[in-house]
Amino acid sequence: MKEDQMSQKTDAILKERSRALAKEQDRTVVDRSFIEITEFRLAAETYGIESLFVREVYQLKDFTPLPGVPSFVLGIVNVRGQILSVVDLKKIFNLPDKGLGELNKVIILHNDRMEFGVLADAVLGTRPVALDAIQAPPVTVTGIGAEYLKGITGERTVILDAKKILEDEKIIVNEQVA
Amino acid sequence: MKWSVGIKIGFGFTLGIVAMAIIGISSYFSLNSLINATKLLNHIYYVTNEVTAAFSELQDMEIGERGFLLTGEDSYLEPYTNSKNKIEASLKTLRQLTLALPVQQQRIAVLTGKIDEKLRSLNGAIVLRKEKDFESARQFFLSSKGKEIMDQIRVLIGEIKTEENDLLLQRSSQVDASAKYAKDLIVWGILLAALLLSLTGVMISRNITKPLNVLSAMASRAASGDLSMNISPDGRSDEIGVLTQAFLRMIESLRSIIAGITDGVAMLGSSASEILAATTQVASGTAENASAISETTSTVEEVRQATQLSSQKAKNVSDSAQRLEQVSRSGQKAVEETRIGMSQIRAQMDSIAQTIVRLSEQGQSIGGIVASVTDIADQSNLLAVNAAIEAARAGEQGKAFAVVAQEIKILAEQSKQATTQVRTILNDVQKVASAAVMATEQGSKAVEAGVKQSAQAGEAIRVLAESSTEAAQAAMQIVASSQQQVVGMNQIGVAMENVNQAGVQTAVSMKQAETAAKDLHELGQKLKGMVEQFKV
Repeated sequence: MKEDQMSQKTDAILKERSRALAKEQDRTVVDRSFIEITEFRLAAETYGIESLFVREVYQLKDFTPLPGVPSFVLGIVNVRGQILSVVDLKKIFNLPDKGLGELNKVIILHNDRMEFGVLADAVLGTRPVALDAIQAPPVTVTGIGAEYLKGITGERTVILDAKKILEDEKIIVNEQVA
Repeated sequence: MKWSVGIKIGFGFTLGIVAMAIIGISSYFSLNSLINATKLLNHIYYVTNEVTAAFSELQDMEIGERGFLLTGEDSYLEPYTNSKNKIEASLKTLRQLTLALPVQQQRIAVLTGKIDEKLRSLNGAIVLRKEKDFESARQFFLSSKGKEIMDQIRVLIGEIKTEENDLLLQRSSQVDASAKYAKDLIVWGILLAALLLSLTGVMISRNITKPLNVLSAMASRAASGDLSMNISPDGRSDEIGVLTQAFLRMIESLRSIIAGITDGVAMLGSSASEILAATTQVASGTAENASAISETTSTVEEVRQATQLSSQKAKNVSDSAQRLEQVSRSGQKAVEETRIGMSQIRAQMDSIAQTIVRLSEQGQSIGGIVASVTDIADQSNLLAVNAAIEAARAGEQGKAFAVVAQEIKILAEQSKQATTQVRTILNDVQKVASAAVMATEQGSKAVEAGVKQSAQAGEAIRVLAESSTEAAQAAMQIVASSQQQVVGMNQIGVAMENVNQAGVQTAVSMKQAETAAKDLHELGQKLKGMVEQFKV
């Protein structure tokens, strides 16, 4: 008797769950201001950067390491005849190194003054993000790289401020080797 | 005292002989001188007699002459003629007798002359009487000094007699002296010799008897069985010493012999006891033997029956072994077929393994294709992203393019997922293929092992067949030998019967031996009692 009751209960619960899952999600899109971001992966974290500053995404191949540069400069790559430097943000954000491979991508950022590549472990794609969904970066993040952060979305995507990165003087390497 | 007893006794006897010889010789010489003296005395008497005879003959002649003269008859002349010869003979004898005395010789010569003178006068008277007559003869007779001559002759004879008597006196005293000397010599010599001999005898007897007495006392003690005396030898080297030492050695050897006999008797006693015990045991053992033999006899009968049974069983075994041989031959054939089948399986397995290897290689080429598809999907994705970026940059006009780009991206994602699935499947396939390769390898190994094992099984079955053949032969032999055993068991039964009889005889003999051992034991006890009489 008890087993019958139990199985009836279980059936009831399962039916309720299937009904809930069968419901369509609300597709009501509220007209809000969006920015288009390109999402990529650095180590285990997901980062986003505004697509306006992205020229293109390129596969990392045939890169040349440079001597006498800071550690965050990975080297230079040849993108269809154009020589661009590649910056490894993981060095800046103190993220663990995963090693380089064919799957690594270079996101080429540009504005009217600067043009360089940022190393990404994987590029996830582009998507629009509502501006009011972007929250301020957590105060716990301090130190180097804190000024490059713009905010964080509800999906825990860290939005980088591409403008600041492009305009930062520290990234420009101009050292004289004696 | 280094002399031997013989020398001592000889010395004593020699002493006696010497004493006797001395006494005898001196007596001999004394007697000899006495005899000589007596002979001389006789000589003297002879001379005296002869002189007296010659004078009487002369007187006879004178008487005859006077008769003739008176008568003239010749018959009266007969004494004259007789005596004339006798006188001459007497004178001659006298001369011979008195050769040692010159005085007497002289006197005899004078006497002879006087006698011749007398005889001439007598003869003259006789001649005259015969030729003439009485008167002339008487004249002549008267004229002749016949009486004077006769007196002279008488004187001469008296002188001779006196001389001889003096000599006789002298010689008789000599004879007396020598006789006395001889008597003394004999008496004293015998006394002295007796004394000396008795002294020597006493000494010798003491010297010999004393130790002999000691020895005889010891000998009588020994005779009564007491051998416990202990005498040190006195160091004599004569017969007594030798006898003493020999006696001591005899006592010593008797002691050792008695000791040996005592030991031997003791041993004899104990041995007899042991023999008695042993014979008693043997007697009882013989009785046990008899019962054991009867048991053995029944056991032999049982064994005989069992042997017959085993003979039958061995026959059955022989039949079974022959059947087993046939079965094992067919088993050998089956194993041979198995081996051939296994070889075919091995060939099949080899081809399966090659097929799977080819499959694996093709899977790898599929992997390469999948990789290139993945790469293409990745690049499509990148293109989609770039297109989306370009669309975003184009703003409102790019919205539709952004949707297309999104769709391309989704397609790329899907193809990527598909390739991932393909790769996963391919990996699984490759893993399975590897596992299959491994399995086929193991399978071929197993087949190899199976081939080997089937070969071994064939060999084993062959050996089994041989063994079963041997077993069949052995069983046949067992049948034969068990029949022989039956025969042997019968013989053993007969032999056991004989043994039983022998055991009965042995029991009787053992009874006798027991009695003999008892007698021996009693004899040992007796001997022990006899030996115990000896004091060692």
